[in-house]
Parts: sequence; structure tokens; C-alpha cells
Amino acid sequence: MSPAAMKSPSPIPAKAGIGLRFQHHQAVADVAPDVAWMEVHTENYMGGGTPLRYLDAIRCEYPISLHGVGLSLGSAEGLDPAHLERIRRVAERIEPALMSEHIAWSVTDGTYLADLLPLPMTEESLSVVCRHVDQVQNHMKRRILVENPSTYLRFCHSTIPEWEFMTAVAERTGCGILCDVNNIYVSAHNHGWDASTYLAALPPAAIGEIHLAGHSVRPLDDGSTLRIDDHGSRVIAEVWALYREALGRFGPIPTLIEWDTDVPPLDVLLGEADHAGALLALAEGEARGANVA
Amino acid sequence: MPVRFWHWLRGRRAVPTLLELQRAMRASLVDRDDGAAAAMLAENVPPDRLNIYRNTFVTGVTKALRLSYPAVYRLVGADFFEGAAGLFIARHPPRSAYLDEYGTDFPAFLRDFQPAASLVYLADVARLEWAVNRAIHAADGEPLDLTRLSALPSEDQIRICFVPHPSISLVRTDYPADVIWRGVLSGDDAALAAVDLEAGPVRLLVERRTTGVEVSRLDDAAWRFATMLCEGHPLAAVFIAATDTGNDALLTEYLAAGRFIDFRLAPAEFSVHTTPPEAVS
Repeated sequence: MSPAAMKSPSPIPAKAGIGLRFQHHQAVADVAPDVAWMEVHTENYMGGGTPLRYLDAIRCEYPISLHGVGLSLGSAEGLDPAHLERIRRVAERIEPALMSEHIAWSVTDGTYLADLLPLPMTEESLSVVCRHVDQVQNHMKRRILVENPSTYLRFCHSTIPEWEFMTAVAERTGCGILCDVNNIYVSAHNHGWDASTYLAALPPAAIGEIHLAGHSVRPLDDGSTLRIDDHGSRVIAEVWALYREALGRFGPIPTLIEWDTDVPPLDVLLGEADHAGALLALAEGEARGANVA
Repeated sequence: MPVRFWHWLRGRRAVPTLLELQRAMRASLVDRDDGAAAAMLAENVPPDRLNIYRNTFVTGVTKALRLSYPAVYRLVGADFFEGAAGLFIARHPPRSAYLDEYGTDFPAFLRDFQPAASLVYLADVARLEWAVNRAIHAADGEPLDLTRLSALPSEDQIRICFVPHPSISLVRTDYPADVIWRGVLSGDDAALAAVDLEAGPVRLLVERRTTGVEVSRLDDAAWRFATMLCEGHPLAAVFIAATDTGNDALLTEYLAAGRFIDFRLAPAEFSVHTTPPEAVS
């Protein structure tokens, strides 16, 4: 299916949003924070009851993005049709402005490995992922975004640079790219890549969303460090700098603050979103200035 | 196995297919067998990086179990729970990414888990917690519109087979799992001290109401009646099997409480040898 035949693109504004977690359901319902949009993990709303009741109310006030973490686009054995259908049902109820998944895999031999595992960057992986993105876009009758991963290892038979892999998926399927700037920073550090080169290689027209998050640094025995994408702290200065670079290349793009471990009070999350919002406003101004010139 | 051996092996291997790689990673994460996966890593990637993914897998799934079994967690303590969960996860890894549904086999695992044998009631508490977990996450369901029942010709009413709300479970335990569960989660030591393990079986109705999940005790007759209704037996069969008085009131209560979301009619020949119950509308 061509992207033109799918549902219209995101009404999510090019402003800052927050990842909504259960800990903040009540606070969001109580104070209706001044934030442009929210994103939730699709898998957390597959049942009924309280979570869905909160989301039903919150979606009336904010555009919602559904971010999947378990579809396993890179599974060699195909997508789990039951999971795909669960996602479709959540989307039918929530009517999200955006839907996204990851360039990763988590299911093999009928076992869910509860993590976003790295793919070998090969032609076979590329064709598997593209087939599955096509399948998802057909099933959902809409365009999705796919997120670049954060990884801690690489495989010896990988032949395609990750940024080329991301670009090829977008080109072949018409999907968009969810550019996780923190993931680029983490993976670049862990694998000795140049983060700016990675950013520069992504096709600006395909970028539909940006993610920002904190990560931790683990010292290794050999004196080096490994960066772990644990979403458990504030965005670090180097990632903010890379984010500015991304906005310079892509223009203002809807940007999400994610925080999943040691979730702080809502105000802390909103503070991070405000910072992203200020940088987005700058980028907006620069984009307008460039147009006038 | 020395790392150098794997580097040698890498050079010997044909390029693995994606499926081979994913099965090798599964063996590493679930079965703790790193051999095949380590041989596929890029040259300067130390095999202990696989530990990061294994730890994420085990801690993530253990956390899902802990959220579903909070009273079991408190009864046995963090270390014991993590040990038991680790063995359980290796034997019953999750089948789907919908982790709220993960852990259905944990009560049976605990029942047969020798190190926990002295806590005779542990598996019963786990079974109750699984029913509570199911109630928390069950799909929403609108209560049955009672006018649909009253619109049925009276001769058809005996053929009604109810569809219970998906949050409902009926649980029978040998020990007073409800009192232990409440006592543990509320830290009520007095209630726990008063538990009589010899008091005999308890029969429980677990359901999600608008105010939250409720666990209530039923007497034997009410439990049998409710079980037959919720298993979808035709009303005639339910009333024949459950001869106690008070069943009409019980059925009215269940309908009023919205415990059924739909019904179907058993085949017509079913009614030949049965007596119609009281009108249900």
C-alpha cells in the first residue's frame, strides 16, 4: 500500500510531549498539565479496567501516540497475529495521532524475550523488517514510525550501517522514522560511531518524531564505559546538544521525553519537556527565518 | 570456553540466518547457553555483553511476576522470590509480549516447588492472586441488558446460558487464602496471627467492580450455583443441579450486579425433560 492511501499524517504538533506512565495517571487527571501531547506504551492498555479508563479521559484532552514495545518487527518467523490484533484493538479505541514500533526483535520460537534485541544489519534482516512494516501498515491502515535502537553488541556478519538500514526501511515501506536521539548517542558511544554522521545520514522528510531520554554509564573492566539506555534520569547535556543538531537538520519535530525507571514526580518530566519545547521554539524561529530569507 | 576459541569458530562458520541468530540468542538468554550467540558477535564485542540482555530479560519478567503476585512476594521475601522466579522463567518463558497475561502457571509451579513446601498455603494464595490479576486486566464488558431477557418467550428462558464478565473467577482453596492475602498486603499481623489453617476450604468469587477488584466468600451452595452459571450451563441444568432455596435471589443479584455480559440459548431439544425456572426478568 502506498503511504498516500493511508490515513492522514500526524496531527501531533511539533511541540514537546511526555511519555505517560501509570504513576502519573492521577496527577495528569488532576492538574491537566500544560504539555502538547502524550505517548503511551500500547502493551500497557491491552486489557480493560483502570488504565484504559484514565487513557479514555486523557485522550479527550491531549493527542496520543501509541508506542509499541512488543511487536518484534525483526522476528524471522513472522509477526504474532494475535499481538498485531491486540494493537489494532487498542488503536481502534484510542484513535492515536501516531503509532510507532522499534527496529528490533523480541520473539523467537514462540518465546517473548522481553527486550528490544539487536538485529544483524543484513539484507535478510532488512527484507524481514520491511515485510513486517508493510504488514503492520496494511493491518492498521495507516503509516507507522519505526525507531532506531540502542544496542550493546554488534554481529560479525552485519554489512549495512544502521543509519542506512533505517533509511532503507523508510524508503521501501513508506513508513516514517522515530529518531531517538538518545539511542543514537548511546549506540555511537558503545560502537565507536560518529553520532553526527548518523544524524546526517537520515532522510529529513521521513522523520516524524524525536525521542529524548536519560541513560546510565557502566564502567567496564578494561577502563572503558558502556552506555545503557535505561530511561532513568534526565537527558544529559551531550544529548541536548545532539538534539539541537537534529532540529537544525530536520526542523521542528514532535519531541517526546521518556522516563521509565525511577519515574520522578510529574513536574520533573514536565521540566524536561519545557526544555525541549524551548529548543523547538528556537528551531521554529530559525525555520521561519530561513523561509523569509 | 576461551574467547579465542570463539574467534576461531567465527572464522569457520557460514553466515548464520536470522532465525539461527535468534535461536542462538534465545539459548543465551533463556537457557544461559552463550556458545552459539557468542560466535556470532563482532570481533571486538566481548561475549559478556550478552549478560546485559539476559539480565534485562530476567529482571523484566521477574518484575512482571512480582506485580502479579505481590502477596507471594511478601510471604517468601525478595531473594526467595527471585530464585523461584528465575527457575520458573527458564521453564515457562513468556509466550507473548502481553506480559499482563504472563504467569498463569506460577501457582502450579509453587505447589510443586520443594523449597516452599513448608508454606502449605502458598500455592493457594498464588491461585487467588492470579484470579485477582486476571480481574485487574480483564477486558471491559457492558452488563447484559435485562430487557433482552424479558423479551424472550418464557419457554426459552430455561435455555439461557450466561456469558460471565471476563473479570470473574471462582476459586476454591484448601486454606483461607483470602484472609492471608488481605493480611499480607495490608500488613495486618493480627489478622495473620488469627488465621486457622485447619478451618477447611474456602470458596471465593473474584471480580472487578467499578471501585476495584473484590474478593468475596461464598457458601458451598452459592459457589456451585455461581460456578455452573459462569461455566455457561443452561439455566434449566443449573436449577436442577442446584436444588437449594435462594437460587432465584442469587440469580437476581448476579444479574443486577452486572456479572453477565451476554447470553446464548442452548439447543431447543435441551428443554424436553426439564422444568422452567422462575421468570428471570
